[in-house]
Amino acid sequence: MDLTYTHAVLDSAAETRRYFAKFERIIAHLEAVAEISMDEKLITTMEVKMLKGYLRALSNTFTGLSYKYLMADRVKLQSGDQFSIDKTESGFPVFREIMQMSVDMTQANKHLKSLPSPARLKKDMVNHILTEKTAPSQLQFAMSQRIYYEYLDKKDLFLTQNDPEVIWVGMDVKDVRRSYLIHWAVYDSQTNLPVIYFMELEDTASRALPNDERRWPRVQAHLMAQSVSSLKLLTIAQGFDNDFDTLHPKMVRRFHLGPMHSHAFTQQHGPIRDVLAEASGEAGLDWALAWTVESLVSESIRKEKVGIFKTAEREVYHLDKLDFQMADSGASDISRALILPHRAYQVLNEKHKSEFADVRKYVVGTNAKILSY
Amino acid sequence: MSNLDVQIEQSRKEVEQAQSKIAELSSRIDSARSKMEQGSDITFDIDNATLDDVHAHSNKMSANIAELILGLDDVTAGFSKDFDAMRSKTGWEKFVGVFSKKRSEMMRQERVRVASIEDKLQDLIGKSNVISKMLTDQLNELSVHKNQVEANLTKTLTDREVAVSKLEAIKAELIAMDPKVIELEGKLSIETKPKARAKLEAELAALNSKYNELAQEEQVRLAESQTLERYIEKGKTWLDSLQNQSATQMVLINKLQTDTKQRVVLYDALSKSLKTAQQQDVAHQINEIGVATDKEAQVAMAGIGAATNNRMADMMEAHEDHIVFARKVVEEKIKADERFARRFEKIVEMHDKNAYGQGDV
Repeated sequence: MDLTYTHAVLDSAAETRRYFAKFERIIAHLEAVAEISMDEKLITTMEVKMLKGYLRALSNTFTGLSYKYLMADRVKLQSGDQFSIDKTESGFPVFREIMQMSVDMTQANKHLKSLPSPARLKKDMVNHILTEKTAPSQLQFAMSQRIYYEYLDKKDLFLTQNDPEVIWVGMDVKDVRRSYLIHWAVYDSQTNLPVIYFMELEDTASRALPNDERRWPRVQAHLMAQSVSSLKLLTIAQGFDNDFDTLHPKMVRRFHLGPMHSHAFTQQHGPIRDVLAEASGEAGLDWALAWTVESLVSESIRKEKVGIFKTAEREVYHLDKLDFQMADSGASDISRALILPHRAYQVLNEKHKSEFADVRKYVVGTNAKILSY
Repeated sequence: MSNLDVQIEQSRKEVEQAQSKIAELSSRIDSARSKMEQGSDITFDIDNATLDDVHAHSNKMSANIAELILGLDDVTAGFSKDFDAMRSKTGWEKFVGVFSKKRSEMMRQERVRVASIEDKLQDLIGKSNVISKMLTDQLNELSVHKNQVEANLTKTLTDREVAVSKLEAIKAELIAMDPKVIELEGKLSIETKPKARAKLEAELAALNSKYNELAQEEQVRLAESQTLERYIEKGKTWLDSLQNQSATQMVLINKLQTDTKQRVVLYDALSKSLKTAQQQDVAHQINEIGVATDKEAQVAMAGIGAATNNRMADMMEAHEDHIVFARKVVEEKIKADERFARRFEKIVEMHDKNAYGQGDV
């Protein structure tokens, strides 16, 4: 069976450029949305700061990809070297692209050494134009690659794995209990979407976690290996709680960014398809980006014997047992949101209001001002 | 893995060699052309530019790379070891299991939780890139030569046309001279006056010397045209060979890229679904222990039916357009594989029998 059937190759320069331009705009909108959410006290200031960090990294990654593929179609590369996106239920570049970028990054210096300098490339281009009187495609491609590798070398990027970072929040001196906020992000390979994780953690060990070389590297490896979108938050939190007796995850939050729907690039089902089909016409106004926030909160603790004399705290998480779907989802709360341009929102509100009743909607106005409904 | 690294290094050297050989041959053909323009004899140069050596080497190189691509298969077989490890218990876990089943199971769970194949996937992509880069470089090199040879060839073809038309003009002139000579000879045989005879003889001699001159030039032109013809022949064979080599490269690249794309998705999906399956149910059970389960659990049980139905519906929806696409791309994959198999029948066979180095490729 083929496993790449949902991948679409963007093979013309205009298409690729339009795609990246669209994403750059959307990511800028997302930062504004994060601020609105902060004003509404949906997320904390610290979370906003981290979210913005990841969004910026994501934006850098997209810019990097756009440099990489800017001239690719001119030099007629093999189709395997062209840019592919996941066109169903994602709209983002396929996982392989991001992984490829990680591989490229490790070799950026090597490439920069072997590629000619921008000044020389420009001179060669001028020579080519004057002597051969054709477009210097090959040189342009070399230049785009040069810029791409320079970019990889300089910028913070959103890669397939963005290792956990820890922030000290506070300490209960009497109880010797430190609190931390850990955040990390992955580019999920199953859904081809960026996923950002936050975890509020209490630490009852005598040594602070970031300075504890016995635990911190293990914690990092554990969290990265468990960051799989098909795992429920409950599974991740339980597993972590069990493997580290002195660490107590009190709250875990997961942001799935995407899917990005666009009438021009992706295929979608259900009401969103109709909305975008009706709103299409003008370029740049036929998209919608959805995201989902899952949260899992601890409601109580129980003691469990570990070894002969010791006991460890284990968290019991809040799950809404009365709502079947929620109980099954393994999260205390799931909220969905959608950001879309005004024109698409009009169609949505007129014709498909009921289908999107439980989705928070953010609408981008003509002057890029964002309103929320 | 290190074995593959060695193989990659070796193939890289071979590609370099092949490129230098191709470049050498092309330049020889090229210099033959410029020599020819200067009018010197190029028979030696052309005969010297033998294709056999280049062919033999490029065949060997392609075979090596094909083997390399199949070797990547063996590397990826290492993934299945990881998958098996996630499914089963290690020796130590089995040993612990004799005393405490629960403890043994917990150890395995912990191992599954930290398992990750990300680095292996990166390695796979990296290796595949190296091979792919090698192949693409070679392909580009080939097409550069191809263009050069093609341009050369068209120029030579027009040269030959010119040569042939000149030759024909000379022939026509020679033929036109024949009746004049016969006429003069006829006149000479019946002429008896010594003065007139001497004049006719001088005329005939002049005509004959011109005839000879023309005949000689005909020979020269003929030789030139023949040389050009041989040059063209050689060039055509070379062009064919370059085209053939390009096709081989394309087949190799195609196969490699299709395979790598598929593998990255496949291995990733497999490892993650294994991970999910091994953990998900247990987590819910554990949380239940801490929650007052009695009445809520009963409600939840009743809800399972509904939830299952929903999930089924979701799955059906997700697979709606699957079938069409799957068919299309499966066909493409089969084509790529077929092309590969056609070209590298022997290697595939040997690979399947695991019989490297037991015969000539």
